[in-house]
Amino acid sequence: MILTRSDIFLLAAAIVLTFLVWTATHYAIRARHVTNSTWDAILGRLRRVDQRNLFLVAEDLRDSGAEQTNTSMDPEGLWAVIGGMEGLATLEANCDVLIELASYVQRWYPEAIVTAEQLRISARQLKWHVDRLRGASQTGNLQASFPDYAQRAVATYYQMTRQVLELYEGLQLPESVRLRNVISPEFMRADA
Amino acid sequence: MHFNGLDLFFWVAGLAGHLALLGVLWLKRRASDFPVFTALICLYVSRTIVLMLSHSIGYSVYYYLYWSLAVVDVLLQLGVLAEIAGHVFRPAGMVLSGTWKTMLWAISISLAVALGLTALAAPPTRSLMQTVVVRGNFFSSVLMSELFAGILSLSVNAGALWRTHTAQIAYGLGAYSIVGFVVQALQNHVGAVNAQPYLALAHIQMTAYLVCLAFWTVSLVREAPAPREVTAELDRQLLHLQSRVSLTLTYLTGRSSI
Repeated sequence: MILTRSDIFLLAAAIVLTFLVWTATHYAIRARHVTNSTWDAILGRLRRVDQRNLFLVAEDLRDSGAEQTNTSMDPEGLWAVIGGMEGLATLEANCDVLIELASYVQRWYPEAIVTAEQLRISARQLKWHVDRLRGASQTGNLQASFPDYAQRAVATYYQMTRQVLELYEGLQLPESVRLRNVISPEFMRADA
Repeated sequence: MHFNGLDLFFWVAGLAGHLALLGVLWLKRRASDFPVFTALICLYVSRTIVLMLSHSIGYSVYYYLYWSLAVVDVLLQLGVLAEIAGHVFRPAGMVLSGTWKTMLWAISISLAVALGLTALAAPPTRSLMQTVVVRGNFFSSVLMSELFAGILSLSVNAGALWRTHTAQIAYGLGAYSIVGFVVQALQNHVGAVNAQPYLALAHIQMTAYLVCLAFWTVSLVREAPAPREVTAELDRQLLHLQSRVSLTLTYLTGRSSI
């Protein structure tokens, strides 16, 4: 079967059109899902982490100076406290939820965009640290790299939780009480 | 040129629809939020009247005005997309990070694909003018559809929130552009040599546009969900929080090596 130029044109147009319709439909559904998400549903996606341990790791980095790589915590202890690469993956997943919690506030207070934007930048930094560690694990350098990158990732995550809590409490939102119960270091729970 | 009853119906329905939409934009004070979109609707109103009057003068006058206003139409449609992008990617006056560079890439790729598809089209026509009309309309529909999909996908990935009326204008324009893409692809296939199938497809597109017009009119009449009342005390706290967060943001982005 010989295709004419017109047939090829129709085929190319159909391919482009299918891609556009799929893209528009997919993202319109995602946008609708985000817009219609309830606060409970968003909070429910936050994976359990031991905030007390995160606080200790973040404070250790602050006390030893941000530019120094020597932490007072020994590497094995740090690994155990953070939960290794699995623990970091949990923090990575939770970053997106924290951003959604800030974006949720934007629906009524557009000025909350500033916090949401900062959280996005922080999330990119955290994911960069975790990606470096994944790369290090593939080259056999995880043990040497873990203390530095992991601690910075944890400190970034801890800072993000503080910012979300400040946003909610600063605006005196009714959800701030439940949020504090979930992400405050005073609330100590065993890891799931 | 001879217009039958159906053509007259579309002209009158289009004019009435545009006037109703203009009324909503002014009375509901949407015009100040969407000045470019309002300008586009004003163009459509004046274009309908001008072309209707010029049609009785002569063929060449009609086509000269048709083409001049078609160019302005495409530019304003692109302006509406830019206006929508501004609402989405610059909420509260702040540009969402990492969006403009990606948007520039999306525009470049969209232009390249639209030009490529248009170059591939070979509509059977009787004159150069017909070829330009058929291919030109197709190009603008493809480009608008691509830009709409690009803005939508980029906004979701960037976590941008769409205001109600912004979304309604965008979705209406996007849906109409995609219908235009389909119709004009078929028009490029059948060509303008045989007027009947060409005009039948044009009528389908006009019908789709009237539906879009009705959608915009009804949607923009309704009020969007109101933001919560910010008391003076809360406003002060929010400003304080904003300045603290902005300082940290400057510090972080200054240190960031990513």
